[in-house]
Amino acid sequence: MPVQLTRRTILTLVGAGAVSLATPLAAQDTALRLAFIPQENPEKLLGDIEAITGWLASEIGVPVEGFVTIDHAAAVEALRSGDADISFMGALPFVLAEAEIGAVPLLSEVYRDAPNYTGRIFVRRDSGIGALADLRGRDIAFADPISESGYLYPLAEFVEAGLVKGPGAAEEFFGRVFFAGGYQQAMQAMAEGLVDAAGASQYADLLLTPQQQAEVTWIAESAPIPSHLVIARPGLDAALRDRFVDAMLRLNEPEHRNKLRYLYGPDGYVRADGAAYDGVRDMARRYGLLE
Amino acid sequence: MVQSFLRVLLATLASVLVLSGPVPATPAKEAPWLPDAAAYRLTLFLGNLAPLPWDDIKTAWTEPYRGSEFSVGALAWLDRESEIEPAGLLNAMMREDRQAVFAEATRLIALRIEEELDRALAAEESAMAQQAVRTARELYRAFEDGIAAADPEAARRIGLAWLELNSSTGFSGVLGAGSTSADRKTMEAARTVISSYLAENYLLDSFAPRRALSALPETAVLSGRAFEVPPSLPPGSDIFDQDPLPLLVLNFEEQGIDETDLPLVAFGDMLFDSAQIFGSPARDLGITCSTCHNRSDINQRLFVPGASHQPGAIDVDGAFFNPIFNDRRDDPLDIPSLRGLRFTGPYGRDGRFASLRDFTRNVIVNEFGGDEPTPFMLDALVAYMLEFDFLPNSMLTTDGRLTDAAPEVARRGEEIFNQPFAGLGDRSCASCHVPDANFLDRQAHDIGSVAPAYEGARAGALDTPTLLGTAYTAPYFHDGSLPTLAAVVDWFDETKALGLTEEDRASLTAYLETVGAADEPYEAFDTENTAFRLAFAELTTFASTLDTLLPRRDAEHILLLTDTVAADLSADASTMSNLAARPEVYALAERLAAVGAAVRADDWAAAEASWTAFKSEAAAIEERAF
Repeated sequence: MPVQLTRRTILTLVGAGAVSLATPLAAQDTALRLAFIPQENPEKLLGDIEAITGWLASEIGVPVEGFVTIDHAAAVEALRSGDADISFMGALPFVLAEAEIGAVPLLSEVYRDAPNYTGRIFVRRDSGIGALADLRGRDIAFADPISESGYLYPLAEFVEAGLVKGPGAAEEFFGRVFFAGGYQQAMQAMAEGLVDAAGASQYADLLLTPQQQAEVTWIAESAPIPSHLVIARPGLDAALRDRFVDAMLRLNEPEHRNKLRYLYGPDGYVRADGAAYDGVRDMARRYGLLE
Repeated sequence: MVQSFLRVLLATLASVLVLSGPVPATPAKEAPWLPDAAAYRLTLFLGNLAPLPWDDIKTAWTEPYRGSEFSVGALAWLDRESEIEPAGLLNAMMREDRQAVFAEATRLIALRIEEELDRALAAEESAMAQQAVRTARELYRAFEDGIAAADPEAARRIGLAWLELNSSTGFSGVLGAGSTSADRKTMEAARTVISSYLAENYLLDSFAPRRALSALPETAVLSGRAFEVPPSLPPGSDIFDQDPLPLLVLNFEEQGIDETDLPLVAFGDMLFDSAQIFGSPARDLGITCSTCHNRSDINQRLFVPGASHQPGAIDVDGAFFNPIFNDRRDDPLDIPSLRGLRFTGPYGRDGRFASLRDFTRNVIVNEFGGDEPTPFMLDALVAYMLEFDFLPNSMLTTDGRLTDAAPEVARRGEEIFNQPFAGLGDRSCASCHVPDANFLDRQAHDIGSVAPAYEGARAGALDTPTLLGTAYTAPYFHDGSLPTLAAVVDWFDETKALGLTEEDRASLTAYLETVGAADEPYEAFDTENTAFRLAFAELTTFASTLDTLLPRRDAEHILLLTDTVAADLSADASTMSNLAARPEVYALAERLAAVGAAVRADDWAAAEASWTAFKSEAAAIEERAF
């Protein structure tokens, strides 16, 4: 069962500095607590959580609870404090959580047959912008300052091209740099002409209308970014962790695939390969996010 | 907050934007609306209908909109999320005062935006500030199309203000890494841009009387200038294709004849999928014949608030599509299947049109406000629709008897079906649903399924519908009031005192389900044989009629084709699973648009050249078109 949180409750809890919800569990190996990162509509996520945790509980044989945190930071805090055993997580927050609290990667998400994706620089086709250098003095919208595909990797393309000196120097090259709050907002700002370019996931143009999709193109693509994953707090009972992973991998089987829609809708999961995130660790160091 | 790659995937499934502006027949999925913003948009839409559906407006505020991801309605949502009291709105709705409802609802949304902006400015945590900005931005969406239509410069200014605001809230990072603090000064400046516009246009004590309700800003209305807000459907609308997609059975195709060798039929096929033949708003919303009669069958999910009483039903002579044809009667009809159309005349639920051609013209001109179609267009549409065949059913002979493949229980039902009943005037079910006449008799009968509209009315006779293919066309009856074939059997048993036993009813139901069954009712797709491949094949087939039209220098019909197919091809590319091939499809669409542009310029040589290039490029990318 999900913990029922209103938007304000979530904010209050996070504002208090921790996510401490519901009744503490009697023993680690007899229950699992899952932290979910919110979407546009946390209320829908609560319904999804109820469906997936119910199924996981029946598969694993222990009660499974899920709750929504306000963001990745709060989910990591929950792992650190032990309020969550397992969390869904982006690649960058994962490497930060790994370094800081020893978080353990369990599963990587698969989309379109790959456990990775890219970031791209999108522009309007009628903009006359054909290369990264054309964006000198022009405005760009990114998703978020610690988004892999929505900032770090796309910006790295400008660094590679010798246009931006390094992290923190973007303003010297561009006119304005905005953080729109998400892929969709960044893409929409570009498509509507509020900015000249958007840095976002390779699939972000699918968030535009069909007409807008035909009006935009991309001029640069980043190196592959390992996909989002499911991570565990250190110290989680190994046997319980294995049972969880085995259950999650059963979601790849045809009879269970329909449940993937309760989990942000990937095509499936594979066991996480920690080494696959070396590139993200390097990127985090370049941006000064990781020592 | 780090944006989740997965969120994109999810959002791709249920995403994006106000449906507005000229669109081809590929509608854009919408991002979910916040409950209060949704109720406001529904109020604007329903408030323009005549007679005004007050119950629907009240429902718009008290219940979640159809398909909402939120479990509560707007009022409960406000109670939970806001300090604002909706008393004024409730009072206006109780008085059924349209202008007051508009004013109160508009103020309410403006106040909600202000409330969230206050929260954003007051937030100590950047995550909270961002959440509030996001909510405010989603509420602003309720006004956005009105501002864009009337004041593009203001729309741009405010759009940049939202970007500024979001960028300056600060970011919490993860475990301290990547965190930035809020830039209060920039936040306040951006907020001022938004709030001052709201104060001037939406947060007003009184509003000028509105002939048509819209999100147009007050200053635009007071200016006296005419502004056109692009038509849009309100939250809860559903004009998407069915899933699974019904199988289309075309007589010529089953005989191995290629549609590209039947240019009149192919042009009619194109018109059936063209919103260009209708008037606004249907044309602007991308509504076509196939929106309702999907793949010659029915679209069971179609729903337009105020025009549909349930999914799969629509009132085509209401206020929305063509006000001049508004019969001011709330009488939505369950969409009928067009399978076997050449055997099912007369047309219309009450059989009021003997001619399919007359019926089709009525749909185009009266129901959907289109221009008078040319004789060629009507000929083409009729030629195409007459190719619609019933679904093959190996449990039924061509003269309507059960084959050995039919289940035994259905045979017992067949006997009952052919048995005369006193309650049916000593006739049987088969008297009207004649098995060797495709289970219909081409007559209208009053079976008592229509409530009299007035005392003494003799207006309840309806055309006998076929039973073929009906296993997939629930619900049943003209108003879709019976959910299953078993319910239909029960209705006849009860209202006609047939005296059937439980076993009889089960047998008769089994018979109806057998008669209504099909060997393959739906299209079968796989990873490469995708819905887009099907669309690609259709659209390139439509285009093939240029081989006939270009030599005839038939500019009018060429432009109808290129405007329809180029836009559809481009829009359909958004559904491709082979994303890498999308640019090629966009380029192909531009080739076809270039044919149209050349014809408009009376440059027939250029038109021919673009058409030749289209054909060769279409053939080259066919394998990748999935």
